[in-house]
Amino acid sequence: MKSYAKRYPLAGRRWRHADSVRKALAILAAGLTTGAMNAACPPDAADGAVLTKGELVLAYRPLLADKSSRIPMAKHFALEVQLCDPEGVSIARLHKADATMPEHRHGMNYRTLITPLGSGRFRIEGMMFHMAGHWQLAFEIQAGGETTRITHDVQIE
Amino acid sequence: MRRLGRAALLLVLSATTCAVADVGDFTPAELSRIAAHGPWPLSWTPDPGNRVSGNAAAIRLGRDLFFEPRLSANRRVACASCHDPAKGFQDGRITARGLVTGTRNTPGLLNVRQQRWFGWDGGHDNLWSASLRPILDAKEMGGSAARAARVLRSRTALDCHYRQAFGKPPAAGDPELLVNIAKAIAAWQETLISPPSPFDEFRDALTRGDTRAAAAYPAAAQRGLRLFLGRGQCATCHAGPLFTNGEFGDIGIPFFIQPEGVDPGRQGGIKRLLANFYNLLGAHNDDATRNNATATRHLRPEHRNFGEFKVPSLRNLTLTAPYMHNGSLATLREVARHYSELDEDRLHADGERILKPLKLSPQEVDDLVAFLESLSPSKALPAPHAPPTVDACHAP
Ligand code: HEC
Ligand code: HEC
Repeated sequence: MKSYAKRYPLAGRRWRHADSVRKALAILAAGLTTGAMNAACPPDAADGAVLTKGELVLAYRPLLADKSSRIPMAKHFALEVQLCDPEGVSIARLHKADATMPEHRHGMNYRTLITPLGSGRFRIEGMMFHMAGHWQLAFEIQAGGETTRITHDVQIE
Repeated sequence: MRRLGRAALLLVLSATTCAVADVGDFTPAELSRIAAHGPWPLSWTPDPGNRVSGNAAAIRLGRDLFFEPRLSANRRVACASCHDPAKGFQDGRITARGLVTGTRNTPGLLNVRQQRWFGWDGGHDNLWSASLRPILDAKEMGGSAARAARVLRSRTALDCHYRQAFGKPPAAGDPELLVNIAKAIAAWQETLISPPSPFDEFRDALTRGDTRAAAAYPAAAQRGLRLFLGRGQCATCHAGPLFTNGEFGDIGIPFFIQPEGVDPGRQGGIKRLLANFYNLLGAHNDDATRNNATATRHLRPEHRNFGEFKVPSLRNLTLTAPYMHNGSLATLREVARHYSELDEDRLHADGERILKPLKLSPQEVDDLVAFLESLSPSKALPAPHAPPTVDACHAP
């Protein structure tokens, strides 16, 4: 799985939420001491952007066919997602993934398909940001009868 | 300013006497956005869904069939009747006229290989199915498999190139016959690529830091370019080297059709596409991986699709007037005025928020037009692609 990182390096995105990344690392550091981690958790830089909400940690990374490192404009791409909680891989399920352009008041022209890959990993296919500008990615995660929504801002050029 | 100074110095050094326009001081952000509209031409790759893409015999056959009126019911309408090579492969009419008059403007076919969707409503997801439609359409050519097989067998060269490309003789009873013909015509259309334009030369010169060469690009076009990238927000939809993001939008062009009725645009296109036996999800897609069907597989119909039309490429516009899906705007000046005076009430309530009447001054209209004109090649287009020589086929 991690070998993807070499083939599809992630760089060039200006991630916001540096704060949440730091928080995630803190939570994960705490988690590490419990010794109950799955190999896939905590996510590291190779897993892409790390986001947190409450106890949940979500990392995502675009899988790009060419070697260029940024999400291309108006081209299809896939994402790989890793879900973790402080105890390791959780029973959480990635339920929905979507993106919108809040200022333009529209979303994508395509619907995503989520495939579970095991160990909290998921692949999202069918993404396309068809215009340059501010996009908001939204992930919906279901765990223990609760739904958590994690969003992330991305600037596409 | 420094850049200007350097250009001036170079001019003195080379003792050139021709007058050159100033090169505007583009910001680094503008420069990178300008660079994103190139390089041109794009690199060519074969179409994985078409097994004869790039095949010399198929290209030769496709070229001959493109100009072949006997494929039509009245033996007088060829693809080239509406897609005239001298007019950027369109007809200059408001709406197309085949066996009867249609309701949409004929698009040019230069650079057609680079499209994701075909037709103003994107009713096709591949070039060969878009090429099959007019042959069978009762309003355009009204052809049939039997007629096509007769045409192929009537000339040694057609018959022979067909056998070379597909490894079997053309037979009316072969369910593949029409698809094969369409794939051959597609293979030829894939070779239609427009040469670089003055804009491309400017863009390349800026990218290499060659201010002197860049200064040959007229100042009005430079101001128009700045408007295009900046206040006009045109590049949001007309993005990349092809000046389109390949998707759909509603810019307030009326979708009523004479004498009555409406053109549902993309909404109808999605329905047509999904019902089409020859789409990329079907058996005639030659890409075994089906990776080329991602867009079709993931399509998401939305209410806003009603009245949306494909964002057209802006290359070669000087060859392809009139403009828009219904040919309703006769000149580029009218297009610029359309965006200047935009009637917001005509736009979809749930449509794009970035379109606002631009209220352009007369000078800004001129500048925008100068820029749009600079996206067409300055030199005459090469004659319709010289067909490759293929062995062992001799015309009768
Ligand atoms: C009667 C005039 C007419 C004839 C004949 C005709 N076309 Fe067209 N063509 C059009 C029109 C009009 C459209 C736009 C159709 C739409 O929006 O659905 C079009 C669209 C296309 C497109 C899609 C281009 C794009 O950029 O979306 C292709 C490819 C094409 N035609 C190829 C052909 C081929 C190949 C033939 C001959 C087999 C042909 N056409 C015959 C009028 C014609
Ligand atoms: C919201 C996306 C969008 C923006 C922004 C936009 N366009 Fe367009 N443009 C379109 C669409 C969609 C069409 C086709 C509309 C139709 O036929 O109904 C079009 C058509 C055109 C055409 C006609 C091309 C042809 O071959 O018929 C020109 C020229 C053009 N636009 C230039 C511009 C300029 C200049 C700007 C900026 C002032 C601009 N566009 C901004 C989406 C956009």
